[in-house]
Amino acid sequence: MKAIRPGIKLIRTLVRDRIYYPGRLVVDTATMVARCGVLLLLYSYVFRLNGGTISNTTFTIAAWSMFFYFSFSILRLRDLSQAIMRDVQSGNVEVLLNKPMSYLAYRMWWQLGAGLYQFGLISVLGALVLAFSIGLPATMSAAVFLPTMIAVVGLGILLSLSLYAVVGLLAFWVEDITPIYWIVDKAVMLLGGSYLPVALFPAFMYKIALWSPFGASQFITHTVYPTWAGEWPLKLGIQAMWVVLCAGLATLLFLSAKQKVSVNGG
Amino acid sequence: MKELRFAIYSIKKNLESSAELRTSFVTNVIGMAINNTAFIIIWIFFVKSVGVVNGWTALDIIALLGFNALAYGIVFSGGAGILWLPDYVASGGFDRYLLSPKNVLLRLCTSRFGVSSLGDVAFGVICLATYGILIRANLLQIALVILLIPIASLMLFAASVAAQSASFLFTDPGSVTRGLLELFITPGLFHGGAFQGATRFVFTFLVPSLVVGALPVEIVRDVSFPKLVLVAGVSAIWFLLSLSLFRLGIRKYESSNLMTFGS
Repeated sequence: MKAIRPGIKLIRTLVRDRIYYPGRLVVDTATMVARCGVLLLLYSYVFRLNGGTISNTTFTIAAWSMFFYFSFSILRLRDLSQAIMRDVQSGNVEVLLNKPMSYLAYRMWWQLGAGLYQFGLISVLGALVLAFSIGLPATMSAAVFLPTMIAVVGLGILLSLSLYAVVGLLAFWVEDITPIYWIVDKAVMLLGGSYLPVALFPAFMYKIALWSPFGASQFITHTVYPTWAGEWPLKLGIQAMWVVLCAGLATLLFLSAKQKVSVNGG
Repeated sequence: MKELRFAIYSIKKNLESSAELRTSFVTNVIGMAINNTAFIIIWIFFVKSVGVVNGWTALDIIALLGFNALAYGIVFSGGAGILWLPDYVASGGFDRYLLSPKNVLLRLCTSRFGVSSLGDVAFGVICLATYGILIRANLLQIALVILLIPIASLMLFAASVAAQSASFLFTDPGSVTRGLLELFITPGLFHGGAFQGATRFVFTFLVPSLVVGALPVEIVRDVSFPKLVLVAGVSAIWFLLSLSLFRLGIRKYESSNLMTFGS
């Protein structure tokens, strides 16, 4: 409890900051409309052209699945890599390493807090708009849906933070991690079911999405499909496994990076 | 002409400076090219699942991404400085561009070089060349591609100037201008065949994302001259509009009076 108290304080401060400066909320709403809104309009047209069903999936299910992806992305957990790289390149990391809180934990709490307010508000508003405009799929009223979705979001947050922390920590060894970040980020986008719903994946791509950390971090997009009722134990297990592996790797890299830092003074 | 010569000189110097960090330079270029292939994979699987939508095949998607990447690469390699306008305005660094005897917009755009955009250029050229070979493009179609690249680039440049001009209106301009630019760029990367009726009208005239990629693809594929005139007209109007917005924005600018020589 004592360990997470500073983190909760950090989140509270950041949420207050975001409420006070609503500019980011406006931008995130515009981005959500630009990406998800336009995409859903296009998919509704394409589904209509195909008689309402593509690969045994209805538009309602595909739309909710993609909405969950974009909603989760509002948390901006992916910005963690760039934040770590900026700290390393600017030398700020030396100051932050000397603070009484673990640098890695501080950066993760910060990243979570920075997006939480927009995530909560836009997700609720977006869900209401979607529910009233296209309705809810039957799978979302199953008893298993809500508790497993909360678990999958929690594990997804932990996995995303660990994954992007690993990429960010490479900045201690590589002068510019941006190309690595792009590749990881696009793998998450591709296998997470962003522009192409999971139901439309070819079999081999679905397997990669299922067993890779990139796809596993976005299992929230799988929760609306009828197969979720039978698959959730496996998928939560895969997510938990990747959380342990990626968090372990991030810790090892961080310990090794700390040895590498040389403080030169100001 | 003199202004243009200075812009080319500035771009050349920025490029030389970026190339000094050789490893970073090469990885950025290659990384961006790999990064762009994700969109090709997505839309090709989309076409495989959904089939041909309004005459748009997987090949058209390759050309769509080619036009978009090439325009993006051309605008944001030599002219990456426009993306820094929010920082310049917020920090007061914009003062030095106002004091420069050169054209303010040209001086601003050429103040930075976007290394990764060279990856977009390479990716765009490869996509368009692949498209040309696979559709067995005739001379007229090749000429149309060559003509449409500057038109698409002009449209993207106009949109970015218009979006970045919002920097003069907000206290936290970075996030606002990023959102506006994303609002323009993102729909342009979507499957062009799915834009019909009202969405086609909106994304051709009001948020002209289709002018950069989807419409040029249709012009080359169907050898459509009325669409070529439309695309050139919309680009020209948006270019003039963006210049007016930029000038209006400058009038609202207030120096931050920082004790520096700008950033």
